[in-house]
Amino acid sequence: MRKLMCFFTVYVGLSTLLVVPNDAASLLDTPGGAKTLTCSACHGNGGNSPGYTVPTIAGVAPSYFKKAIQDFADGKRPSPEMEPYAKMVLELGVDDVAQYFASQKPRPPQAKADAAAVAGGKKASAACAACHGADGKGNPETAVPGLRGQPVGYLKHQMFLFKQEKRSPGDQQLTTLKAFMKEIPDKTLEELAAYYSSLR
Amino acid sequence: MRSLSRRQFLKASGIALGVGLAGKELLSFAADGASKAKRHVVVIGGGWGGATAAKYLRLADPSIEVTLLEPGKQFISCPFSNLVLSGVESLKNLTLSYDRLRRHGVKIRHETATALEADQKRVRVGKDVLEYDRLIVSPGIDFQWDQVEGLEAAKDSVLHAWKAGPQTIELAKQLQAISDGGVVVLAVPLAAYRCPPGPYERACQIAWHLKNRKPRSKLIVLDANKDVVSKGALFKAAWKDYPNLEYRPASKVEKIDTSAREVTTDLGEKVKYDVINLIPPQRAGTIAVQADLVGADKRWCEVNHMTYESVKQKNIHVIGDATIGLPVPKSGNVANAMGKVCAVAVAHMLNEKEVPPMPPGNTCYSWVNDREAIAVVNTYKIENGKVVQIEAKLTPGQSTAVAQNSLAWRTSIWNDVLG
Repeated sequence: MRKLMCFFTVYVGLSTLLVVPNDAASLLDTPGGAKTLTCSACHGNGGNSPGYTVPTIAGVAPSYFKKAIQDFADGKRPSPEMEPYAKMVLELGVDDVAQYFASQKPRPPQAKADAAAVAGGKKASAACAACHGADGKGNPETAVPGLRGQPVGYLKHQMFLFKQEKRSPGDQQLTTLKAFMKEIPDKTLEELAAYYSSLR
Repeated sequence: MRSLSRRQFLKASGIALGVGLAGKELLSFAADGASKAKRHVVVIGGGWGGATAAKYLRLADPSIEVTLLEPGKQFISCPFSNLVLSGVESLKNLTLSYDRLRRHGVKIRHETATALEADQKRVRVGKDVLEYDRLIVSPGIDFQWDQVEGLEAAKDSVLHAWKAGPQTIELAKQLQAISDGGVVVLAVPLAAYRCPPGPYERACQIAWHLKNRKPRSKLIVLDANKDVVSKGALFKAAWKDYPNLEYRPASKVEKIDTSAREVTTDLGEKVKYDVINLIPPQRAGTIAVQADLVGADKRWCEVNHMTYESVKQKNIHVIGDATIGLPVPKSGNVANAMGKVCAVAVAHMLNEKEVPPMPPGNTCYSWVNDREAIAVVNTYKIENGKVVQIEAKLTPGQSTAVAQNSLAWRTSIWNDVLG
């Protein structure tokens, strides 16, 4: 317990120091900006998350953004935090919000990656590349999300959710992915998270 | 600073607001502002609402001059301060600088606004006078000491710790020093008050501390409300781990006698304490009361749901815990959301543009021990010019995953307020 708290504190301390200000005036210069005002509380300025478990949504392809919002709103991707916000985005107009975040430049996490974990993750990444691309960019045409530059904690947490059948339970399109996750040891998943987070 | 004619012009053009620009949702104010006279917005209060509003005014339109009046030299986060009482967190980690706000071009004066002269559109700061085109008041809360007999005279020794700072540290010390077997009393005021789940999170943290370090001690929660005000089922589930916590609903503390170390409830019940934490009834911060921004209840400020302009005073906007009438909790996240919405609305109004509908949102975490948290999320839409709730969703239970998300939230939202 103490360890966990210690980790939390060190992480938060560091990340608070490392956050940089957003580009001025970007908010209202882009259509949809005023519809995204509440998002920055968790997802950071312009959708660049400074938090360990919250994804960066800057630069996300609209196809995946809209799928994620719809799945959250429908409860297909269970999240007590995101379900109400997804419904709010649908009320405001998901196209504008998706467009706004797609137009924002993603900034990679500033935390230093663990080199050994990154190397281990790289070795294990071949299977992921089949759908997410060799560079982890994802595929907008099939609404496969990009993984590179996401916070380590977010990637790790999502893979564990897949493994435990807690993310998008019952989604037939993800059957192969989940079966694959179940075969991978937790340590390797953590290394994969470190690797994809480190990609620029 | 500005010419009188500019003020007159704005006053006249205000009538035209809300018409003529439908369809063009957002405009780059910076680009078409070359010929504008300098506009000045004063923000009173550098908490979650005011600091956010100051920053977002500059993001929305860098040609607007922004002055923030905040007497405190540092920002201290109320969210997470309950964890200081249990020793799980330190106040140092919750204390942040205003320096990054200056990089946005916000002029910060660490002074107190002493009076508002709404007719003259100016704020008095000691002997100085600041003129404004629009004023944003984010005054937070102050306490109604006179609502509890004996409290006014004892307010320096009876701690509220409801504004994070020296009282938080002092209450933590008292909780550490209590003899094993001593009784802690936590008195909760009737809603509405700042941070609806706050007293119950505090109860968890105090009970966790006592359970682990003073196993023969107990905590008595005297709640003026009939039931737990927020996240009730989740808190009650968490309290099953705390047999040392005695919850007494509908027990409003009406009197305190510090020499007898005793409080009296409205039921006439007398309760002895070794450590008292009395959270007094609250109202909008003093400046809002003095400036007559509060309603007939003399407590809270009613505002327009889309612009946060006071229904009582033109050109003055009120945000944060001081407001009433919106279906939102008095939380830091809501104050932050109101700060953003209000700033963008003010930027639109100063540029004579139609204000788009911008609803607030609320994400609120409570830690129930040293590693697990619960949460509620509320989202909203604007319907006929009013804020209407879309949904309120609770986490299914307490977990470390929610606690981790709360830490991501605080990193991000502190940056949204001050970064």
